[in-house]
Formats: sequence, structure tokens, C-alpha cells
Amino acid sequence: MANTSSPLADSSGLPPAEIFKPKPARAAPASTLGIQGWIRQNMFSSIPSAVVTLLGLWIVYAFLDAILTWAVGNAVWEASNRRECLDQVGRSGACWPGVAAWIPNLIYGLYPKDQVWRINLAALVLLVWAVPLWLPRVRSKVQIGLSLVLLFPLLASYLFLGGEKGAIWSALIALGFAAFLWALLTTATEMTTGLSFTRFVVGALGATGRSEEASRRIGFAALLVVYAVSLLAVQAMALSFVQTRLWGGLFLTTVISGIGIAVSLPAGIVLALARRSRMPLISLLATAFIELFRSVPLITILFMFNTMLPLFLPVGVEVNQLLRAIVAVCLFAAAYMAEVVRGGLQAIPRGQYEAASAMGLGFWQATGLVIMPQALKIMIPTIVGNFIGLFKDTTLVSIIGLFDLLSMARAVGEDTRWLGLFLEPFFFVTMIYFVACFGMSQYSLNLEQRLSAGERR
Amino acid sequence: MNEAVAEAPPIELIGLNKWFGAFHVLKDIDLRVREGERIVVCGPSGSGKSTMIRCINQLETHQEGTIRIHGRSYGRDARENDAIRREIGMVFQSFNLFPHLTVLENCTFALTWVRHMPKQEAEDLAMSFLARVRIPEQAGKYPLQLSGGQQQRVAIARALCARPRIMLFDEPTSSLDPEMINEVLDTMVELAESGMTMVVVTHEMGFARKVADRVIFMDQGEIVEEAPPEAFFAAPRYDRTRLFLSQVL
Ligand SMILES: Nc1ncnc2c1ncn2[C@@H]1O[C@H](COP(=O)(O)OP(=O)(O)OP(=O)(O)O)[C@@H](O)[C@H]1O
Ligand SMILES: [Mg+2]
Repeated sequence: MANTSSPLADSSGLPPAEIFKPKPARAAPASTLGIQGWIRQNMFSSIPSAVVTLLGLWIVYAFLDAILTWAVGNAVWEASNRRECLDQVGRSGACWPGVAAWIPNLIYGLYPKDQVWRINLAALVLLVWAVPLWLPRVRSKVQIGLSLVLLFPLLASYLFLGGEKGAIWSALIALGFAAFLWALLTTATEMTTGLSFTRFVVGALGATGRSEEASRRIGFAALLVVYAVSLLAVQAMALSFVQTRLWGGLFLTTVISGIGIAVSLPAGIVLALARRSRMPLISLLATAFIELFRSVPLITILFMFNTMLPLFLPVGVEVNQLLRAIVAVCLFAAAYMAEVVRGGLQAIPRGQYEAASAMGLGFWQATGLVIMPQALKIMIPTIVGNFIGLFKDTTLVSIIGLFDLLSMARAVGEDTRWLGLFLEPFFFVTMIYFVACFGMSQYSLNLEQRLSAGERR
Repeated sequence: MNEAVAEAPPIELIGLNKWFGAFHVLKDIDLRVREGERIVVCGPSGSGKSTMIRCINQLETHQEGTIRIHGRSYGRDARENDAIRREIGMVFQSFNLFPHLTVLENCTFALTWVRHMPKQEAEDLAMSFLARVRIPEQAGKYPLQLSGGQQQRVAIARALCARPRIMLFDEPTSSLDPEMINEVLDTMVELAESGMTMVVVTHEMGFARKVADRVIFMDQGEIVEEAPPEAFFAAPRYDRTRLFLSQVL
């Protein structure tokens, strides 16, 4: 270890410095590694721990065994009414044919059978529209996502409702359709050439070298063509009118909660900012709104909107019952979301805002570019938690006479052929809710990890 | 820009008074900073140093007195105030980098959103400043992946990217580990040598000795004494200054 030529020694007259040599790292003890090591350490480290582990395993086994015996083992798969099921296995097994016979109603409510394709088509459009958001090569994700949230509802409401369409309504539907076409086109060009649709058109026309202004005009013209095509397509479509009274099942649940979710986040952001505003009147109004809707149960709000609203409206003006429910759900969800967003905003240090304004950013830029992205990211679990809550809360609309998924499930047991069959439909509906909610929560975890992947140490 | 404005001093504080509620934080502050001058501000905790320099770029608003930046004073017009602010860069004790953006994006942020500079040009400029603070290789990382000293150097580069004519520093080394203080101070010394007008709140008296044209001592919201560093350290006039110096030196 002798080192005679240390520079320290020369300059300070100290004795020669010794060299510090770190010890090499050793491997961890084998008993703590791998699955076996993990099981031993976490489940059988002591006698009480082993007892708890075994007890837990036994409870899980007993529970699963009972459920599987009922749902699969003893279940009846073919029967034409509930009597036949009961004759075969009594109450020891599930009677699935009842649920199977009702599946179309559980999913679409009383929507005319020959028109159900319209709902499926809308679902397909939604799916296809959302796919580019997961494709890494697509760059216009923000635009596609925004167009999806803002313009898909226009297209979907025509598919769902159908009926007469005036000039304005046609123009709006065509806007939704054009946005869908644009999303497809721009995805195609970005996947193949890396250029957005408008850029691609400019290139294809050989106008790349021209001025920014000229290429913007060409891009705009291309979009106009897409719109004109959609307008013609929409004119050619003629769908029969389906009353909202016939909407029901999973379809209705998805419509109500989908709109609630899509509206609640932006509305919540606006309300939260308004509540934090320095202008007293705005802040007061926002606070009053939020506190009012948060202190009243959703059921009460639904009742109020359903029965009281018509009393306040002028005679002859009728607001559709579904619309009333949707408005009630949106207001309620927005009030809750506002508090979630406010919590997220408070978690962002003041210094972030100060740094942004010291750079010369105005309030809106600082909020939109610096504060919100960070706040939304930390709020993802809470936001998605709210979405999940909202999705389940929409079961309450059954109380004002809308046939959502849950009320459809109840209707099975009132069918004369399947009289008294309640458990099986509820089990089925439970699974649907579980899959949807668990999916959302897993997606939020995944999103959280991806978004913060780079920023962690 | 007309002659009068071009010749006006970068910073002028005239009869500045500020209250936090009933608490009188800044009392009759008068300060005139010349072009290229380096001012070090020191004083005990709570004496109003941060508040004073935060008034200079209006992170705090004052109740009485005038602040002129290159001859232009802050007023009711928010756009004009933002325009004045853009002349001033600020570096904070807690860095305040944007954690959701990479180092490079932090640096191009103001160029893109305030100056509307094309992306490539902004990135080239940002890289040149990152090179100047000697961390161009960290451009793709996120701020929280860097050491404190590196983060503060990014913060300096970020402020410089906006091409300010005045730089404010509020205790830039106070939250750093001792090993990292020097790398930040060295960057600041280089900046000073390039002729930037600087107002630095710091307790690093070595830095003050080496770089400052003037040292200002504040206590209880007042400027107690101001002098060139040699005079300030060798022969402070007030007992309060002597007491303070005996504690920090
Ligand atoms: N936002 C605020 N509201 C009320 N009082 C404040 C606020 N900010 C600062 N103060 C008070 O004003 C006084 C001056 O604060 P300032 O931060 O300017 O001191 P400082 O000299 O920078 O001290 P330090 O060395 O601790 O940073 C302190 O007494 C502080 O408590
Ligand atoms: Mg301070």
C-alpha cells in the first residue's frame, strides 16, 4: 500500500497518504435469493408467520372452491327455463342459460335488434380511433386524442340516435366523421413516411419547396376535401330514429359514464383554477358550486334534475330524461374532480410557478405548460379512482327509470321463464364491472410507471 | 431602443418599501446598479435580501417606490411587465428546474414558448449554454437524475438561454453539499468575467471578495452599508456589520 509520490504529501508536508481501496461487493446469501428465498423470508420466517400463511391459503382455497363449484362444477349450461335448472341441480349450481338468453339485453338494453350494429360500429370506430395513441411512430398523438374526445361524441350520437338531420346537425356529424378520417389518414402517412397527413399532401403535390404560407394553404385545402367527402357520406346515411327510452344495459352505462368521464376532467380543471383565482367573485362562485354538489348525494341530484327541472322550464320545452341524467352526473363528477385537481395543484411547489414567471411566461402558459402536466401526473391514481367511482355510481340512474346494466340484470329474474333468477345475472354483471374497473386501475398503474420512468433516479 | 433608455442603469430602486400584511419587510431601499456591475448582497436571515431581489423581477410586488429596469418601470400593463422581466434571468436556491422536462427541454423552454424560436435553433443555442456550464453530456437526462451542483448549473444555463441582460441569484449554493459549491461558484465567476450585470445574494464571502464590485449588507429591511469588498471586509463602518462578519467569516 505504500505510495510515495502522492501529490498531497509534496505540497503539505504531511506523511505520504495511504490509498483507500474499497472492498469488492460480495453476492447476497443464497437463502435470500430467488422465489424460494422470497417465500422462505416472507411467508415462513417464523412459526406464527407460517401458521398465518397456511390459514390464509386455506381460506382462499375454500372460497375459490365454493365459487367454482357453483359457477362451473355444478352449473347447468343448457335449459329453456329456470324449472329445468332447478330440477337438475337445485340451488347448488348456477343456471347460466338464463343469463345467456338475456345477454343481448344486458349489453344493448331494448335497442332494436336489427339496429344493434350501429352501437357495434360506434365501438369499433372508437377503438380504431384510439389505436394510434399507442403506436410509437405516430407523432400527432395529442391532436388525435383531442379530436377523439371532442368530436367522436358528434359521430356517435348520430349513430346511436339516428333520425332526421337538419343542415347544422349534418355539418356537425360530418365534422366528427372527417376527424375520424383525418386520424386514419395521418396515422397511415406518419407510420409510412413520418409526415403528417397535410405535410404528406404538400409533398405529394411537389410543393415542398414553397413558402410556409403556401403549404399551409395546401394542407388546409386537403382537410377541406376530407370534410367535403365526409359531408357527402353523411348525407347519404339515413338511420332510423331510436328513442333514448330504448337505450339500456352496458351500452347505456358506458354512454353515461363515458360522457361523465370526458366532461369531468376538463370541467374539474376549470373549476379548480377558478377556485384558486385571485378574483373573489369567480373564486366564490366556483367554491359555492363545488361545495354544493359535493355535499349532496348523487341520488338527490338525479332526482332533482329528473323531477324538479321540468318545473322550472317553460311549458312545452322538454328535456330528454337521459340528457337530464347525464347533465346531473357531469355536474356531480366535475365538482369531485375539481377538488382532486386542486389537491394536485397544491402539491406543486411555488418555485415552479416562480421559475416560469421569471422566464416571462404568463399565467396561462405557466399553468398549462409547467404546473398542469406535473399536477396531472401525480393525480393519475386519484383521477382514475374517480373515473372508477363514476362508472359504478351510474348504477344509480336506475332509480329514475333508466335501464342501465344493473337494472337490466334485475329484469332477468322478472322474466316469466326465468322467474327468480337473480344471483346469476348479478354474478355476471359483477364480473363485467370488475373487468372494466380492474382494467382501468391497471392501465393507470401502467401509465404512471411509463410517465415517470425517465424522471426517477 | 432610444438613447436615454440605452444609457439608463440596468437596475434602479428608488425609495422602495414593502409590507407583508402589517410587517414592514423593506424600508426605503435605494440602489443603483451600473451596467456590468456585480453586486453581492449579504445579511442575517430574515433581513429581506430575497424579498428585495424578488422585487427586482416582480416575483413580489411592492407598495411604495419605483423600480426601473433599463429605464422602464413596472406598471399596470401585464405585457409590459413581462417584457421587462425578460431582460432578467433568475437562479433560485432550490433550482426550480421543471422535473417533467429533460435538461435540454428546460433550457429551450423559454426560447420556444416566449421567443417562439424554431426548434433546431433553440436547441443549438441551449447546447451552447450547456457547454458553457460544462454539462452538455447531460442534455437528455431529467433534472432529478443529476447532482445538486449539476442541477444548479443547468438552472444557470436555462436562465442564460433567454439572453437576459441582468442575472439575479438568490443563495445559489445554499442548498448544495460542500463538494458541489465550487463547481457552481466557478460557473458564476466565469459569467461575471463575461461582463454580465449580476446581483447575488450569498454568504460565500470568498466569492464576494473575488468577484464583487460592491458588497451590500442588509439588516431588518434596510441597506445598512455598501462598499467595495476590500473596504467592506477590512473596515466595516457599523457595529452590526462587524458582528455579522465575525459570524460568517
Ligand atoms: N410571503 C411572505 N409572507 C409573509 N412574510 C414573509 C413572506 N416572505 C418572507 N416573509 C418575511 O419577510 C422577512 C424577510 O424575508 P426574506 O426571505 O426576504 O429574508 P432573507 O433575507 O432572504 O432571509 P434568508 O437568508 O433566510 O433567506 C422574513 O421575516 C420573512 O419571515
Ligand atoms: Mg432568502
